[in-house]
Amino acid sequence: MPTLEGSMSLLTVDEITGGYGDMEVLHEVSVELDTGEIVTVIGPNGAGKSTLMKTIFGLLQPTGGEIRFDGKSITGLAPDKIVRLGMAYVPQVENVFPSLTAQENLEMGAFILSHNYSDRIDDIYELFPLLKARRRQRVGKMSGGERQMVAMGRALMLNPKLILLDEPSAALAPNLAAMIFDRIAAINQTGVAILIVEQNAKESLKLSDRGYVLAGGRNRFEDTGKNLLMNKEIGELYLGG
Amino acid sequence: MSRLPQLIVYGIISGSIISLGGIGVSLTYSILGFSNFAHGDIMALGAYICFGVFVLFTGLGIGNTPIGPLSFGFSFVLSFVSALALTALATVVIDRILFKRLRKAGSIILMMASIGLALGLRNILQFFWGPQPHYYIEKIQVASVIPGLGIRIKPDQIFIIITTVALVVLVHCFLQYTKMGKAMRASADNIALARVTGINTDRVILWTWVIGGALAATAGILTGIENKFITPELGWQMLLSVFAAVILGGLGNPYGAILGGMIIGLSEEVSTAFISTGYKPAVAFAIMIIMLLVKPTGLLGRRK
Amino acid sequence: MEHVVGAINYIVFFAITAGTYGILSLGLNIQWGFAGLFNIGIAGFYALGAYTAALISGPPPSAWDGRMVAGYELPFLVGLLAAAVVCGIAALLIGIPTLRLRAEYLAIASIGIAEIIRLVLKNESWLTNGVWGLQQIPSPLYKTIRGGVTALLEAHPDWPPWAYDLISKSYNWFYLLLVIVVLFVLYLVMQRLVRSPWGRVIKAIREDEDVAAMSGKNTFSFKIQALVLGAMIMGIGGSLYAHYARFISPSSFKPLYGTFLVWVMLILGGSGNNKGAVLGSFVVWGIWAGTDFLTGYLPFTASQAAALRIIFIGILLEVVLLWRPQGLLQRERRLPKFLRSDADKK
Repeated sequence: MPTLEGSMSLLTVDEITGGYGDMEVLHEVSVELDTGEIVTVIGPNGAGKSTLMKTIFGLLQPTGGEIRFDGKSITGLAPDKIVRLGMAYVPQVENVFPSLTAQENLEMGAFILSHNYSDRIDDIYELFPLLKARRRQRVGKMSGGERQMVAMGRALMLNPKLILLDEPSAALAPNLAAMIFDRIAAINQTGVAILIVEQNAKESLKLSDRGYVLAGGRNRFEDTGKNLLMNKEIGELYLGG
Repeated sequence: MSRLPQLIVYGIISGSIISLGGIGVSLTYSILGFSNFAHGDIMALGAYICFGVFVLFTGLGIGNTPIGPLSFGFSFVLSFVSALALTALATVVIDRILFKRLRKAGSIILMMASIGLALGLRNILQFFWGPQPHYYIEKIQVASVIPGLGIRIKPDQIFIIITTVALVVLVHCFLQYTKMGKAMRASADNIALARVTGINTDRVILWTWVIGGALAATAGILTGIENKFITPELGWQMLLSVFAAVILGGLGNPYGAILGGMIIGLSEEVSTAFISTGYKPAVAFAIMIIMLLVKPTGLLGRRK
Repeated sequence: MEHVVGAINYIVFFAITAGTYGILSLGLNIQWGFAGLFNIGIAGFYALGAYTAALISGPPPSAWDGRMVAGYELPFLVGLLAAAVVCGIAALLIGIPTLRLRAEYLAIASIGIAEIIRLVLKNESWLTNGVWGLQQIPSPLYKTIRGGVTALLEAHPDWPPWAYDLISKSYNWFYLLLVIVVLFVLYLVMQRLVRSPWGRVIKAIREDEDVAAMSGKNTFSFKIQALVLGAMIMGIGGSLYAHYARFISPSSFKPLYGTFLVWVMLILGGSGNNKGAVLGSFVVWGIWAGTDFLTGYLPFTASQAAALRIIFIGILLEVVLLWRPQGLLQRERRLPKFLRSDADKK
């Protein structure tokens, strides 16, 4: 979805430096995202993509720079506070509760709500009709694609303005990955902004409004999704495979 | 061999108590990430709090005329319930003072702290009450004979079994049908993800200690009812059986703890037909070692 | 002067016991400090070592004993070796099922084996004489030294009484020397081991077992070796105790108390540090003995005093874990890596 002229960014990552403990992974990385946009961050392994995502969501503390979400500074805020501000995060691995059913996983997504949210659950099932049939099945017994849907559904329960997806198609067969990307587009249609980190850059860039290329913990390129796809140099360096 | 049915009855009673102890251990392990070796002594703490409150109530004049065929009355039941609440509270306080500050440390440090706590609790009990046994119930109860099966069982023992079943059903319903129960199961799967999802993990941890403490107290008090008396060593004596049960069922799985508890209880009692009663813990130990060699994740295994 | 002699005699007794605990701490240090293994059954190995030494070196069963076997009156060193071997075997028994699994499994198995050992010692009278224990365990070179001392004292009847008191206890001086020598030898061996290739592998396994495994090392086998070696040293400690006390019974080895003390010694001194192990043992034994004196002055019953002392040591452990888990002798402020949360290790 295109941005409106003059609207304030939903998410501004401003020259973030940081990493794990003493190890610095990100060096003055900047990323911007507007309401309703899909933005993909691509780059080689070890470029710091996942680290960036964890830092935005408060799982890691940056040593420098600022992060602003929906007008407020969220630098250094803990994840459970950020969740309440309207951001959701789907980790790459271990992103569901295997011994709970699909329905229960969704319910956990709405833990902080005290009112009735069965409407919301119905909305999620509309987005993921496959899940509705399996809602009483233990997620641990589900396939990778189904689990990814549960993970994304869980993240959507609180009606976030922005959802962070860490390599949503990793470890999925191509047809399942295509299905996931299809669902991501559908989620975006409901007005949710999406920030994706991906190895499978081609598919992700196809549905992205914009993209960033990260390498060695630094910004390298920024352009629209289409342009990045067509850029031969980028294609060779980063889109292989 | 003709004693077998009777031994099975003893096994069910013993197994019930071990199961109650084991549920708490499994919940603590799966949600807090460490094995709490002080659990046995929390059982003893519960037993002594019950005793202390009972003495207090008796002093206040609250009657204890036996309820029906049971050997205890209203004031004891009141003490029982109070002890559950007080022990749960004590367990939460202990967490605040000790374990909470060590959450960032590895599971081994937490286990070591729990050993220190175990000895500390036991000796606090010994300090105030001494090492000699204290009696809940003075009179010896007459056992009823159940014809046909050739077994004898006392009303108190039926009480123990019924209490265990009730609590197990309660815990099951809590875990399966309430929001906090589901949050606990989610946290047992992956507490980091639970936090990220927005689950209030501090509250989950609180409930874990409350339930663990209350169940441990119940196990301790029921032991006191079964044996008639309590000593400070009560919990430590059961620790090996409880942990063997938990490992047998699958460390971290409360349902495994129940299954494991019954198996260990039955095995220990039935074994007395062949070997001396002093070696009951050895039976639990042997079963545990065999399980570790054959299927370390336990009968109802969890991945952890 | 009598008080001085009394004090000296007490210090000797104190040092012998502290030294024996020091040996136990060194053994635990291999298991825990080097290899990161969590063994809570120390008291079991200690008892096993003591009983093995006693049964090997002690006299055959007398007419009044429930015991019916053993008592081969073999030399001190044979008993010491046997103690080490038997403890090594016991360590294998619990190591094999548990060392491929998480730390708590070894912990529980070690509690189990200590309990089993205690039950066997108490119940199998035909072997251990049950609760009546084993008496008349010979001390090495006892007759020789006593003979020399007696001869010396008889040759000098004019010496003051305090000299008599001092010299007549001189066997204990010899024993103290023996304990110190054994402790020192073991300490040197441990220091060599730490710096050896074997030691480096063990420490690598402790820091990150997956990484160590990837470089082709059979981590399981190394962990077994550390467990067994540590247990053997604990057995040696047990044998030294038996020959000093000359009488042992199951109640000499209260379950968990000895284990607990040794753990506090090692944590306080500094895990992974041989000097720390020895330092910790003297400090904690000092506190333990000190509280024995202090509670004598307080209006408590014997059992209350005993309970209070354990509570005190328990609080000491928790305080150390909360505020200085690396121990006294570790220079780094941060916890050594292997003590930190598994999550931190990523």
